[in-house]
Amino acid sequence: MTDLLLENESARKLIKALGLPIPVPERLERAKGPYEERPLDDKTILVGGHGALQAVLAQVLTKAGAIPWVVGKSDSVLEPYLGPGEAWARTPHRVEPGDAPEGKRVDAIVFDGTGLETPDDLHQLYEVMHPWIRRLNRSGRVVVIGRPGGEARRPAIAATRAGLEGFTRSLGKEIGSNGSVANSVFVEEGAEDRLGPVLRFLLSPRSAFISCQPFHVTKTAKGDEAPETHVLGGKVALVTGAARGIGEATAEILAAEGAHVVCLDRPADDGPCSQVAQRIGGSVLLVDITDPDAPERIANDLRERFGGVDVVVHNAGVTRDKTLGRMKPDAWDMAVDINLGAVVRITERLLQNDVLRPGGRIVCLSSVSGIAGNRGQTNYSASKAGVVGFVRALAPQVAEKGITVNAIAPGFIETRLTNAMPVAIREVARRMSAVGQGGKPEDVGQAITFLATPGAAGLTGETIRVCGGALVGA
Amino acid sequence: MGKKKKNGWGKKQRAVIVTGVRTPFVKAFGRFLNLDTIDLADIAVRTLLERTDLPHDEIDSIVWGGVILPSAAPNIAREVALDLRLPPSVEGMTCTRACATGLQAVTLAAAAIERGEADVIIAGGSDSTSNAPINLPQKAVHALAPLAFGKASAASDYLGVLAQMMPITDILPKMPKIAERTTGEVMGESAESMARRNEISREAQDRFAERSHHRAAEAIASGRFDDEVAPVETPDGWVHTDNIVRGDTSVEKLSKLRPVFAKDGTVTAGNASPLTDGAAAVLLMSEDKARALGYTPLAAFRSWAYVGVDPTDQLLIGPALAMPKALERAGMELRDASLVDMHEAFAAQVLSVTKALASKGFAEVRLGRSKAVGEIDEDTFNVHGGSLSIGHPFGATGARMVTTMANELARSGKETALLGICAAGGLGAAAVLEAVR
Repeated sequence: MTDLLLENESARKLIKALGLPIPVPERLERAKGPYEERPLDDKTILVGGHGALQAVLAQVLTKAGAIPWVVGKSDSVLEPYLGPGEAWARTPHRVEPGDAPEGKRVDAIVFDGTGLETPDDLHQLYEVMHPWIRRLNRSGRVVVIGRPGGEARRPAIAATRAGLEGFTRSLGKEIGSNGSVANSVFVEEGAEDRLGPVLRFLLSPRSAFISCQPFHVTKTAKGDEAPETHVLGGKVALVTGAARGIGEATAEILAAEGAHVVCLDRPADDGPCSQVAQRIGGSVLLVDITDPDAPERIANDLRERFGGVDVVVHNAGVTRDKTLGRMKPDAWDMAVDINLGAVVRITERLLQNDVLRPGGRIVCLSSVSGIAGNRGQTNYSASKAGVVGFVRALAPQVAEKGITVNAIAPGFIETRLTNAMPVAIREVARRMSAVGQGGKPEDVGQAITFLATPGAAGLTGETIRVCGGALVGA
Repeated sequence: MGKKKKNGWGKKQRAVIVTGVRTPFVKAFGRFLNLDTIDLADIAVRTLLERTDLPHDEIDSIVWGGVILPSAAPNIAREVALDLRLPPSVEGMTCTRACATGLQAVTLAAAAIERGEADVIIAGGSDSTSNAPINLPQKAVHALAPLAFGKASAASDYLGVLAQMMPITDILPKMPKIAERTTGEVMGESAESMARRNEISREAQDRFAERSHHRAAEAIASGRFDDEVAPVETPDGWVHTDNIVRGDTSVEKLSKLRPVFAKDGTVTAGNASPLTDGAAAVLLMSEDKARALGYTPLAAFRSWAYVGVDPTDQLLIGPALAMPKALERAGMELRDASLVDMHEAFAAQVLSVTKALASKGFAEVRLGRSKAVGEIDEDTFNVHGGSLSIGHPFGATGARMVTTMANELARSGKETALLGICAAGGLGAAAVLEAVR
């Protein structure tokens, strides 16, 4: 599981000293503890663009502890930042467009592109980012915000909006060597108040391995007041496949946010599953999710012991790789049933009689393979692409109850699964991302946990890739 | 023995401040070196009793405050009662709330009287930074325990103990410092970051420090403090007045001092409150009792408030939340307060708080009010200086402020005084005093 280029300091120094043509990946800064009051404490954040969101940005960034540097021709751009600046003692600064004062560096760049209407307006992206992009600190962040293209009155506006996404995807590839990531956020009109938690997540170290992704913030699902710390206090969360890997990391992070985690795994994994549950003060539920009575047993157990459940993480999954011509029927059936069939059956059962309580969160595990396709994984890809379709279709149906349904599609993550790959293939797979390295289970756990929070009410029906900006897929 | 008292439990009555007195406030490791915190408390309470001729059997209780508590006898209040040979019925409790300790002791006393729990309480606080115990690190204590309490005999036992004491730096006593337990940040560093965040310039800080010294020096020279400061006899003579106040200081002189907590910082020894030894005592009674005993009350509490803020952000901003809360509880606006007295931990902290109070943005976001709390009028603000110039024995400052403001209300004929204190741990305290005629 060790990545020599990341973990061996001598190797890193040697490669750099010899000037070998091997890109040495930057170590990513990761979050160390639970959600904080000020996730952006003392971070310098450049804010550009003239959209409708300046007041929201001022509130969110300043309260999160950041010091805003606002791009603009006159001090009037600072107007929305003054009040919050005084409230939280974070004084805003102004910089001229096209200018970056000598020696000044920034931790993040936020571009408000909600005001862009014509292809010419896209020039603002260049104007704001060009002088600063090489002044972005390591593990930096770029977030480009726009309106969804589908809302546009004219095709020209839609084109402009779509441009933001392409820009961000390419920029992510450019800044990955710096350990930095870029993502875009499209905010539906009327959903502005749901932007805050998304920004706090994307600008924090919790999103270390998410790059080149679009996020769509909508008012589709009903939402409530969202806490900023101890974000899952009082919630019950079910995690399938919790004994190890991504499931284990997710269970730990959910618990750290205050959730009572029910760790579900196969009866054969009693040992490791119980250990995880014990460590995080959670409960154990031993069920084979492919059993026909599994949905009923899970629903009854959650109802009897906890009166219901608030967060469901469908993490359990398997690979049974073979090219289609060589694949045995049970390899097909097993992969598709565990990865997709069981997910559908269990979800449908939990939605009956409100076992999944109103305001609940469902997070399914998809995969970059499901999006991009992969040789030898027809079964796996079918199941994981199925998950994408499932969350997209289910989201509007449960929105009225305040329930959101999303999928996470991990790229190359350092787990037992990927550790079993042949060395050469593994090494190539690791480097095939913008940040030039594999992710950690906690990176996926952080993304899942964020989608499980009340603050993520704006995101539903989405499939979010945690892939470090993988070069394959879309 | 004390006479039998009526049981006033549950009776609603008004608590009034009869008088207050304090020792001179003296630079630490100076003239009060040989007086520990209990000695200082004894002196303040004894002087208070002498000056008021209060019959000892009228006293119900002593409520004392201290921040550096003597580990052998942490309940200073009871030690004072015993030292001064007060009737055994005079019970005592000791409280601690960092720099708001003195005010805490006084408001505890007021609350007890208002509840009918007592009629006469002496409240106050003291601290002797000069006598802060310097503890052996736990590692040394644990290593030495077998020698002290066990039956070590062989030479190898002693060698074993020695071996545990390495490296030597682990077992050397550590100088105490005013640092946050949770963050490890020294308070001066917190003040430094507040200065930076709120853009409080070095010059503004030095100007505020100068003003504090000049006002305190004027008060001393005019005899204004004579009623409330009592001379103290030490083995090498009498100490008559506060000895930190520099009437001849100036912005120019202060500007020459080097920043202490950051290389390019702005907080210096000149614009920070110094380590100080001293004690202050306040006599509180129910109004009926005071009148019955023939005293003229000075003031009473209209309200008080204690708050907490995130200590990792702006450690000392607490008063900006506590003061509006106390005002609201008193049914007042800032402009209604005839006097404002704020504890001056650091000039940077005071100016950060006044800036926050004057800010509409702060009021909207942090207090949920549509208008700024308001600007404090220079003429009514810390009229006789404050902790920067007078000094800051942690436990005593609140009682000093209550005394000075109660006297000021009585002398000036003004109506109300607003008090504000910041404290370690991200605490804030405030109170509104009203004149009693």
